[in-house]
Amino acid sequence: MRLRSIELTNVRRFAGKRARLSGIGDGITVLSEPNEFGKSTFFDAIHAVFFERHGSRNAAIKALQPHAGGAPEVMVEVDLPEGRFRIAKRWISKPQAQVHDTTGRLIAQADEAEAWIDQLMGGGLAGPSGLLWVRQGLMGLEADDKKDRERDLTARRDLLSSVAGEIDLMTGGRRMDAVIDRVAEALARLATATGRPKAGGEWARAVDEAAALAAEEAALRPKAERLSGDLARRTEVTRTLSRLTDPADAATRAQALTDAQAAHQAALAHQAQVTQAETTLRLARLDADRLRQDIAAAETLAARVTAALAALAKADEAATTARARADDLGQRDRAATEAAEALAHQTRDLRTRVQAATRAEAAQAAKAQAEDLQRRLDRATGLQASLDQTRAQRARIAVTAKVLDAADKAQSALDLARARAEAQAVTIEARPDGAPAMLNGAALPDGPVPILTAADLTLPGFGTLRIDPGAGRSGEGIAQAEQALARLLAEAQAESLPAARHQWAEAQRLEVEAKQAAALLAEVAPEGLDALRSALARAMAAAADAPDTAEDVAALTAALAEADTAEQAARAAAKAAHDLAVEAGNTRAGAEANRTTAARQLADAQAEAGDEATLAARIAALKVREPALADAVTTTARALETLRAAAPDLATAEARLTRARGAVDQARAAEQKAREDLASLNATILALAEEGIEERLATIAGDRAEAEARAARYEAEVRALTRLKRALDEARTKARDAYFGPVLRELQPLLAILHPGAQLTIDDASLLPATLTRNGQPEALDILSGGTREQVAILTRLAFARLFATAGRPVPVILDDALVHSDDDRIEAMFDALHRTARDQQILVLTCRQRAFAALGGERAVVALEGI
Amino acid sequence: MSAFRFLHSSDLHLGRAFGGYPDGIRHRLREARHGAIARLAQAARAGGAGVVLLAGDTFDAETPAPDTLRQALRAMGEEGDLTWVLLPGNHDSLAASELWRRIAQDAPANLRAITDDAPVELASGHWLLPAPCTQRRPGRDLTEAMAAPTPEGARRIGLGHGAITDFSGEEGATGIIPPDRAVRSGLDYLALGDWHGQMQVTPATWYSGTPEPDGFKHDAPGRALLVTLDGPAQVTPVETAHFRWMRPVLDLLPGEDVAARLAAALPNTRARDHLLRITVTGRLPLADRAALEAGLAARAPDFGWFAADLSALAVEALPEDLDQIDRAGALRQAAEVLLAEAGDAALSQADRDTAQAALARLYALTQEVRA
Repeated sequence: MRLRSIELTNVRRFAGKRARLSGIGDGITVLSEPNEFGKSTFFDAIHAVFFERHGSRNAAIKALQPHAGGAPEVMVEVDLPEGRFRIAKRWISKPQAQVHDTTGRLIAQADEAEAWIDQLMGGGLAGPSGLLWVRQGLMGLEADDKKDRERDLTARRDLLSSVAGEIDLMTGGRRMDAVIDRVAEALARLATATGRPKAGGEWARAVDEAAALAAEEAALRPKAERLSGDLARRTEVTRTLSRLTDPADAATRAQALTDAQAAHQAALAHQAQVTQAETTLRLARLDADRLRQDIAAAETLAARVTAALAALAKADEAATTARARADDLGQRDRAATEAAEALAHQTRDLRTRVQAATRAEAAQAAKAQAEDLQRRLDRATGLQASLDQTRAQRARIAVTAKVLDAADKAQSALDLARARAEAQAVTIEARPDGAPAMLNGAALPDGPVPILTAADLTLPGFGTLRIDPGAGRSGEGIAQAEQALARLLAEAQAESLPAARHQWAEAQRLEVEAKQAAALLAEVAPEGLDALRSALARAMAAAADAPDTAEDVAALTAALAEADTAEQAARAAAKAAHDLAVEAGNTRAGAEANRTTAARQLADAQAEAGDEATLAARIAALKVREPALADAVTTTARALETLRAAAPDLATAEARLTRARGAVDQARAAEQKAREDLASLNATILALAEEGIEERLATIAGDRAEAEARAARYEAEVRALTRLKRALDEARTKARDAYFGPVLRELQPLLAILHPGAQLTIDDASLLPATLTRNGQPEALDILSGGTREQVAILTRLAFARLFATAGRPVPVILDDALVHSDDDRIEAMFDALHRTARDQQILVLTCRQRAFAALGGERAVVALEGI
Repeated sequence: MSAFRFLHSSDLHLGRAFGGYPDGIRHRLREARHGAIARLAQAARAGGAGVVLLAGDTFDAETPAPDTLRQALRAMGEEGDLTWVLLPGNHDSLAASELWRRIAQDAPANLRAITDDAPVELASGHWLLPAPCTQRRPGRDLTEAMAAPTPEGARRIGLGHGAITDFSGEEGATGIIPPDRAVRSGLDYLALGDWHGQMQVTPATWYSGTPEPDGFKHDAPGRALLVTLDGPAQVTPVETAHFRWMRPVLDLLPGEDVAARLAAALPNTRARDHLLRITVTGRLPLADRAALEAGLAARAPDFGWFAADLSALAVEALPEDLDQIDRAGALRQAAEVLLAEAGDAALSQADRDTAQAALARLYALTQEVRA
């Protein structure tokens, strides 16, 4: 539907007048008039013609009435796909509603006309086009009035249903809300937001109960186990006590003790007999040993006297022999020393002579070397002088290869210049018939003579004829070439080019000569003249130091070697003789000390032994007693062995006695302990049994298991509810996405014009934008500035309008003094958004801000007034 | 020799705690166990028996609470025309020396506590060959003692407690009593205890079962055995229980009348004296499952104790079930996600169960909201 014109008759401030608004285009149409013009009157009139019944007398209709009263009338022209229609309504007095086509044919009137309008609006007052009105000062998205809000909401639902299906069906609607609420309530009763048992809830109560019972059970179980254990122990203790108090067992233990004691006593007595026999044997052995020692001592003494006598004789002999040998070796030592000294003197003399002869030989060699060096020095001195002279000559020649080459080139250039000049020159040729002509004072040669420069031609009989070929280019070239050549010859210090060439050849020769002289000098005096002179001085000094001898060095050296060898041999012999003499001296001293010792030992032995016969008698007397003592030892040892073989094992007897005593003591102690244990167990069992612990434990264990099972059931319930809630949330989110997608798709490009990158989310209850996310920061719409809220509200309507258009039901968007809160920048952006929408959407803008909306563009509507 | 008649029972488990059960039913259960003494006496008397043989586990604990023990002894003493023979079982074995010391101290004259395996003459020519449990797990065949000699021509009655080698006992212990003990030891009748359900092993060997069931394991009424020895043993079961423990299994499939099946599975009389643990298996559409849950919740308060296990009941979500959640849209989508998860073999059983429970919950909530 597109609005084409609106005509108000007797409406509000247009009392008694007819105001016709026309010129409404397909896109944006602006009615820009000052305040109090009546723009809102047009707005309300359009609203009334579409949404108020002609029979209505409500406040909205009464508000259309002028102060003077009368019946307000409104007529709008609309274009529909079927053509243009005129809708007219009159209220209050003779109310009427009519629809005509362009031919003036009445299409419908009264209630039929209202039905026709309802159908056009898609459901009357609840129709979607109600969305597209933006009244003065609109800031929020929702109307203030509850009824209006609900109507708008229904309209939005209808609108979106046409795009994305039935909204209630998609999101589950109120049933979904109710189910989610009940799930949340059930969950909240049992669990916290994080899925833990909620304090005070049934689940938490079951968990706490199970824990408390488990703790009680854990505390009680050891007690029950203790009772059970005590009962088992009491059975065992009773059995033990019965065994310990058995009289037969006690008698057996007593008899075993008596027997062990007797056996132990017998073993002890036998042990005493054995000890006595061992003592007797030890004494007999001591007597026999002492006799054997006495005999051995006497025999040893006799042997010592005999040995001392022999030793003394032997020492005497040894001392004599040593003394003689020492004397002999002493003499030999002295002789050998003298011989060695004589040879040493001879060697020293020979060494002196060899040194003198060697020095003389060296002086002779130095003299010959000095002579040779003198000859080389003379030759070198001559060569040096020649070299110096050659180099001086060479230095005086100034010509260089470079200069010579340049001079050659200058000569060539001069030759060329001259040849050119000659080719271009004036030539004269004399063919004298009388006296020969003179050119520049000289006879004019035969044949053509070129005149290159001014010349005087003397002709006999005539005088002198000055011929000047003029200073042409050729002449300049020759002069320049000549100057260049002259400069180079001056540099070469040569009069002419041939002279320069000759000098250069001389310089080359001199260089060769100097090179040869330098090579010879290097050979004769490789280290220079000064070095040669120093060597000569040294050789001459060496030649001057010559002893006066003529002996042959080689012969003397050989004699010295022989003398050395002889001296070494004599010294070795002397040392050997000396060592022998020392050793012989030591041997003699030892032999004499041995003899003194042997004499003293003999004297000692003889003093101890006394007379030889008395000693022999003493030995014989001792030996007579020996057999009797040996028999006594043998007899005593046999008696001991017999006793030992018959001895009982004392350790075994002692162990048996200990064991028998232990058995008796242990039985007594065990009986005592068993009686004590039994008394203690009886007391404990009696006390615990009175408590009925097992029954209590069984009750608690059962209750605990039941509480745990209950907790597990609640946990499963929470799991199921949590899963259900998630499934519901996910399904609703998915449905919302499908549902709001088209709106957001339309809204997003418009939003991007004002807030690039921003995102809007839509609340599924109000079906309107709820939050605006900019730079990742979501903000609720109702806390944003008035300007932003206003802009989002208008953009949302534009998006809805585009949805209508997409659904094939285009409706006009009417903005009545909207954008009152927007600043200049934003208002420009909003104009862009309006134009973007207006490409396929009719937008009627009513504004009093003529200057601000001048930039909006679009078509301008006009209002024509006439009286009625 | 005249006929001899006695009542064979066992496993009274007096003083059993019944932890985990709510206080009300717990106290009733404990009281019912004590009341079994009087019901046994009545059964014996009604059957003409003068002796009641209790084949072990008369008491649940080695050291029962003093009042439990004292009241039991008094109750037996009050049935003065009967002789009560108490055999130690594994729960009240001879190792529970304090118990048997107290019984010896407080027992009425008509009670005979068996504390060794010596043969006992019950009546003229009728000898009891007991095998009392020495320990909770004696680890040997105590019934070997039943080979003990008795006077020529005497009737021999074995009294033992424990599992036979063909099966495991009440506590899972491997049996060590040979099934042919009666034949081996020349017994006319072997009265056994330990197995809480009544069972005949051989013509002359019986487990009496407990006179008052204490769990869902056997799902049979509590009974005792009236035994007459006059030639081959004549054994007659007699009901003695107050409570009935039932564990019905309801296997349901789509299309069945759930309410009717449920009504048929539950007892209609004396519901208060029934403990019920119903297990539902099979698969049901969501709507039927919701109806079943509602039916179970409605019947539960009728019973002494009631529990339903629906963990093995699979959800079969028919299209119309999902339609009842919603025909399309977010609720429908959530339901389909949960249904897919409930049948996703790649997920753990726990996750599948959670998804199934969530789906059932969603169904119920959407029906509530619709209402």
